[in-house]
Amino acid sequence: MRLEYLTGNHAIAEAAIIAGLKFYAGYPITPSTEIFEYLASKLPTKGGVVLQFEDEIASINAVIGASWAGAKAMTATSGPGFSLMVEALSLAIMTETPLVLAYVMRAGPSTGIATKAGQYDVMQVRWAAHGNYELVVYAPWSVQECLDLTIKAFNVSEMLRVPVILLSDATLAHIWERVVIREPPEVSIVNRKKPKVPRDKYKPYEPEEDLVPPMACFGEGYRVLVESLTHDERGYYKATNEVQRRLVWRLVNKVLKNKHLISDSATYLVDDADYVLIAYGSTARSAYALIRELRSKGIKVGLYRPKLLWPLDEEMLINSTIKAKKVFVVENNVGVYVREISRVLRNKEVISIPIIDIEVPTPDEIFEVMKEWI
Amino acid sequence: MRYELLIAGRGGQGILLIGRVLGVAASKYSNLYVTCSESYVAETRGGDSRADLIISNNEEELDFIKVRKADIAIFMHQAQLVKFSSLVKSNGTVYVDETYVSELPSNVGWRVLRASYTKLAEREIGNIRVANMVALGHLIGTTKLINPEAVEMAIDEVVGEEWSELNKKAFRLGLNIGV
Repeated sequence: MRLEYLTGNHAIAEAAIIAGLKFYAGYPITPSTEIFEYLASKLPTKGGVVLQFEDEIASINAVIGASWAGAKAMTATSGPGFSLMVEALSLAIMTETPLVLAYVMRAGPSTGIATKAGQYDVMQVRWAAHGNYELVVYAPWSVQECLDLTIKAFNVSEMLRVPVILLSDATLAHIWERVVIREPPEVSIVNRKKPKVPRDKYKPYEPEEDLVPPMACFGEGYRVLVESLTHDERGYYKATNEVQRRLVWRLVNKVLKNKHLISDSATYLVDDADYVLIAYGSTARSAYALIRELRSKGIKVGLYRPKLLWPLDEEMLINSTIKAKKVFVVENNVGVYVREISRVLRNKEVISIPIIDIEVPTPDEIFEVMKEWI
Repeated sequence: MRYELLIAGRGGQGILLIGRVLGVAASKYSNLYVTCSESYVAETRGGDSRADLIISNNEEELDFIKVRKADIAIFMHQAQLVKFSSLVKSNGTVYVDETYVSELPSNVGWRVLRASYTKLAEREIGNIRVANMVALGHLIGTTKLINPEAVEMAIDEVVGEEWSELNKKAFRLGLNIGV
């Protein structure tokens, strides 16, 4: 264990190295660039490779290739770059390729304000890629969580053979905080499971009980097919209802049925709370500050903070808001994740507090809206 | 304990370096929790430069990432004092560089500690660029917020070998203001 003083971006890069990153490909974009820079100076000394490609499309495709060559691989970007990456994200989902994508949100639409923050892309990240799938997305609220959740992102991507997204923002990217760094064996690192059958019996998409197929990589002696078309367990293209249904449902269910392994959320004083604030990422810091302030005045307010943003842990959300008279969803955007909360809490009064602030909404700004309702 | 610190001045005065050294000293060498957000403009010289630090011995007390009401402030220049004075508590402790700050608001109950950090740095050290460390020394010497040894370790770590002694010399000069 060691103490460091790092920014959110540094922590993501540091965590990636601890998790076993061996290949980074990217195209620099504010406010994610320090991840690239930090890795460029450190990863080569640990036997890894860092490459700049001509754009984000090439970068994520290189990451997919590296992962199939057996390396833990990642990229990092922001909104405009992620928009370019979504086609290949769908490819990674279909080919069950483990990778980590750090998405550092900035104010949009389009090039917006490159250096300033927002949480506009929580829906884009979930839905932008084509086809049906479940996507694993984590949202940290501190530099320590940038570190911890990046390690978790790598572990989950390896465990389930899925792309995992770490959703940060420009504010978290650049704040400095104390971080406790733990390395193996103090922290557990997961590696993708390998085939246990003889080479002539191996099928690259044949799942085990957890719905995840063991992954043989190039050069390991197994027949490997990387197939983006609908495929059977051997990886052969099959255009039938039977195969399409079996494949799509398995891609969805390998995430949903393993939810207990990936779920992560935090609560603060929700047990007796009349009002529960729901917030994620840097905005949750502001909601938490407001709750501490209101509690000192005797107002019973609590916080529910999903760290796993997608898929939302519906049971945890329901349990954390069970006694609340009203639920408030605070976001640094026009109010988008509130739709997901309302979908689950159908019988509750769910109030959206959308505050656009190019740094982070302040506790006072949140209370200004909230006070009308309590 | 929980303190909010605001450090502000013009770009080029080493504002962010004060924040960085304090942050490292508190988080790595004093077992304290720190959140620091920095803001600055594109110009290398001039423009607003600001570091907001929340320092606490209890992790749970680190909530909102920016200063709401600073307990302690350093103003290295008049322009930023005018701009950010409302962010300081009415009974806050405020350090000003008299070289560049001549007027203070009259309607607040600040405890003001003043010295000509820049002139001192020029006269005693021979380099105005370390005025920031003189100010930091003044703050540490009078608030006892952090052990000076921890700050010197942080200076060694942050500024690099070539400039470390010069910065520590300036820091010690600040420590002894008024002693």
